[in-house]
Amino acid sequence: MKKLPAKSSALSLAVVYVLLLMVLNSRVFGLIIPKNTCTCLCDKRHFAMWNQSYSQSSGGITGHKAVTSKKSTLQILPCTVSQLLSASEVSSDTFAICDWELNQVSVVGVIREFSPCTANIRYSVDDMTGPPLNVKQWVTSEDCAQITFVSPGTYVKVTGSLHNFHGQRSLLAMNIRFIEDLNELTSHMLEVVQAHMQIFGKMVDVNMNTTVASLSGRWADGHPKGILANGLSTTQKQVLHVIRKFSLRDIGISFDDLKLQLYNLRMTDVRSSLAFLKNEGHIFNTIDEHHFKSTEHE
Amino acid sequence: MAGILDVPKPRINCDMLLQHVNKPVCFLGRVEKVHPTGKTFTVSDGEGKTATVELNEPLDEELSGIVEVIGMVSNKGAIMATTYNILREDRGVPFDLELYNEALKVIHDFPQHYPFEVAASG
Repeated sequence: MKKLPAKSSALSLAVVYVLLLMVLNSRVFGLIIPKNTCTCLCDKRHFAMWNQSYSQSSGGITGHKAVTSKKSTLQILPCTVSQLLSASEVSSDTFAICDWELNQVSVVGVIREFSPCTANIRYSVDDMTGPPLNVKQWVTSEDCAQITFVSPGTYVKVTGSLHNFHGQRSLLAMNIRFIEDLNELTSHMLEVVQAHMQIFGKMVDVNMNTTVASLSGRWADGHPKGILANGLSTTQKQVLHVIRKFSLRDIGISFDDLKLQLYNLRMTDVRSSLAFLKNEGHIFNTIDEHHFKSTEHE
Repeated sequence: MAGILDVPKPRINCDMLLQHVNKPVCFLGRVEKVHPTGKTFTVSDGEGKTATVELNEPLDEELSGIVEVIGMVSNKGAIMATTYNILREDRGVPFDLELYNEALKVIHDFPQHYPFEVAASG
């Protein structure tokens, strides 16, 4: 009798852990893929996969790898041209970055060349990280009428899949869109780093060193461990961090002290972070609504 | 010829110029002053620092706004431009050069996640 509850609590712990992982991941992919397409699908898949792998391995966590590799087929990964050209060829027309099988990818770059052929249009897209990437877009005669002349030097965002045409790597475009707001270039750069850090952060870097230490080291000074890094913005994390530091005191930290600690942040950002953190249950008010304490201590 | 466009051209700001002497770079900035000869002009980055761009041929068009220059960095830290590209802002939101500068720092902090090189095995 006594052993049974212990076992089931271990089980539920494992389940909670995986649920956390799932929440984490679905948030990440919510950023990468258009929200409306497959976030839900992802989650359902997760559940199905999880149940399956769970029944196979009582360890629970070992099933996670299978889940992630499956999931890669459902997302668009922001990439640089250099990453696509460096990706290893797993089999014909299947490419992978560090064992992560590529499906749909997105690239932002300048059009260097543009040559309309009968059945397809070929572009070469340069994002400065390597030689320009060949991009191919199949067109029907109907599309032809709609094709506007693309002048070299225009920034575009291409989504598609990597293929091997006669030994040459090309991106088969599902969609090519002119970038009207140049800030998309900036956001794509950041998305690439964010997405690759999420997926490959724990893998080896070019020098075959595990990058975990350096990455977590970078974050460790600013942020407490145990926070779901993806759920919170940097500002929210900073606010929560300070509140946690002061949570050993009964009354927690006052708003004025918080302002002093976070003098570099804008007041509106601090206030909105507080509202968010309170709403999410990370913090609560103590003696009055100007004093805060975190629900978890460091 | 394997031109400058066929190799990686790291995106940099003024602070990174001297680390890239004799190397191809991509500098995105705002046009400040165009020399009367039309053979050089200055560009400012997101930190307000300026760099000099030298051209092989005098400009044959008016230059203003956001420009993306590709070229080699000289010993003195000037950019010897091979080509430049005027990026129009008028169609949409103004370009946030400061934000771009922050993104530059991020990609240079994490070269393993934003490589300016192509692996030989690729």
